[in-house]
Amino acid sequence: MAGVTFDAATRVYPGSDTPAVADLDLQIEDGEFLVLVGPSGCGKSTSLRMLAGLEAVDDGRILVGDRDVTHVSPKDRDIAMVFQNYALYPHMSVGDNMGFALRISGVGTDEIARRVAEAAKILDLEPYLDRRPKSLSGGQRQRVAMGRAIVRRPRVFLMDEPLSNLDAKLRVQTRTEIAALQRRLGVTTVYVTHDQVEAMTMGDRVAVLKDGVLQQAGTPRELYDRPVNAFVAGFIGSPAMNLLEFGAEDGGVRFGGATVPVERSVLAAHPRLLLGVRPEDLEVGDRGLPVEVDVVEELGADAYVYGHAVLDGGPANVVARVRGRSLPAKGALLRVAPRPGSTHLFAVGDGARLG
Amino acid sequence: MNKAGSRASRYWLGGAALVVTAVVFVVPFIFILFMAIKDRKQSSLLDFSLPTSNNLISNIVEVIKSRDYMLVTAFINSTILTVASVAGMVVLGAMVAFVRQRRYSRWNRLVDLLVLSGLIIPPAVVPTIWVLQKLGIFRTLPGLILIEIAFGLSFTILLFQAFISTIPKELDEAAILDGAGPFRLFFRVIFPLLKSVVVTVIVVQSVFVFNDFVNPLYFLPGDDNATVQLTLFNFKSQFTTEWNLLFTDILLITVPMLVLFIFFNRKIVEGMTAGAVKG
Repeated sequence: MAGVTFDAATRVYPGSDTPAVADLDLQIEDGEFLVLVGPSGCGKSTSLRMLAGLEAVDDGRILVGDRDVTHVSPKDRDIAMVFQNYALYPHMSVGDNMGFALRISGVGTDEIARRVAEAAKILDLEPYLDRRPKSLSGGQRQRVAMGRAIVRRPRVFLMDEPLSNLDAKLRVQTRTEIAALQRRLGVTTVYVTHDQVEAMTMGDRVAVLKDGVLQQAGTPRELYDRPVNAFVAGFIGSPAMNLLEFGAEDGGVRFGGATVPVERSVLAAHPRLLLGVRPEDLEVGDRGLPVEVDVVEELGADAYVYGHAVLDGGPANVVARVRGRSLPAKGALLRVAPRPGSTHLFAVGDGARLG
Repeated sequence: MNKAGSRASRYWLGGAALVVTAVVFVVPFIFILFMAIKDRKQSSLLDFSLPTSNNLISNIVEVIKSRDYMLVTAFINSTILTVASVAGMVVLGAMVAFVRQRRYSRWNRLVDLLVLSGLIIPPAVVPTIWVLQKLGIFRTLPGLILIEIAFGLSFTILLFQAFISTIPKELDEAAILDGAGPFRLFFRVIFPLLKSVVVTVIVVQSVFVFNDFVNPLYFLPGDDNATVQLTLFNFKSQFTTEWNLLFTDILLITVPMLVLFIFFNRKIVEGMTAGAVKG
């Protein structure tokens, strides 16, 4: 077991001026489940591939444990990876797929058979060991890919969107299975996904990337409650946080009829502010911002109201969560106000958190 | 009505295609067979007619015996030539295609150009003979094997490359992470996946090399190491030509490749179209 350290790791693709991953500093504890999340093209997969050794590191270092592996070949890094398309060897049986790495490293046949059987038992793959990957279902293939990683007993697991080829139901089920398996094996895991729900539910910690730059790394709760900038605020949580631009006024910003208090020093420095409110923190009442309802999404216990409000900067979309029993009609005019103390403030330009 | 009409015309087109195919491919073969059955006298008429007497067996025996069993040596030579050069093409072609497909370097364009040139530019005979002479392998079977490999390699590379491009790169990466070196990666992971293309290459190139007349004629002159195609000369001379024996010879040396084709027919199409659609 070992932790992983990215020390100002940078990757610039040949022919490009902007780095795909820029000065990534990230410390992953021994046994931790860290999720790299971000929109496509944010550099999350590149970061993972740098750690795997499949991508060169142009600047900075990568350490596994105390060992600098920046220029170590992939096979000597003691890591195993699960690919998005599983990358199973089509011409080998499930058992041979799982044992391939061991065979190459010269482990004895008995030992290989024992370890493959052990992994197959954990993953419920025992009846399929002699089958070819082609004759397995998507979920089974995914488990074989996991098994291939487990069998090697690596110091670090890398997973590159391993669930995105599964159907929605299986994805949710496998999500919990992988998380449980990781807890049980206690192997440091770096997991890449573009799905913030996966990130929130699986990770001990989550690192959000955008345009090759690390935005924030922290526990899911920290990211949800205290996003460091407007990007993280908008990315984490579903439906996304409402981000509304207001002009600073005396004592705070005027949220329709309601006033959200803002510190005087912040108000002085920023004539305009980005106010973030999560949908569940918006209360429908007789005071507040008038919102015209466009769509109501019923989820049973509660519902999301999608509407728009007219601010001084123009129209803005607003989402609010309401109780499922008392739904507003489409086209109705609601007044919403944020629950006191539940708002986030960001600077308008760079989106940095204020206060 | 329109529908019925179009269906009828489709049948007509299909029928016409079959007839044309038959005329182009089957008729010559029947002509060869008839000629091989005829006796010398009838065959010298060179017409398309039913044989009046069955001389097939005696013709075959005569062809095999002629010039001190030259056909037997020729078959051995041709087999060695075909097996060795096709094996060379498969291994080298697959390797080049793999490296070319997977490794990005500034040489790629040049390599592509060279591969295409091999396909487009006709080989120059005299300079090639000069090279072979300097290397001391002119008039030798190994020399001819190298020639056949060189001439067939471009096509083979392109065929392999098209297929390898459909193998996901993650498979390579998984193997690399599993600890496979370049050779193990190629021979244990990539090469087994190329099976259908390998069959195609083997059949297509075997037929080409086995039936090759020009290259053995230029690069391997001399009776000692004649290949099967050169035995055709045995029955043709300036003044007389034994047409019945010539066609018997043609029949004998066509059969192996025909059998190969019939057996692997389906596989060839599979390999040709492999890579066209992702499986």
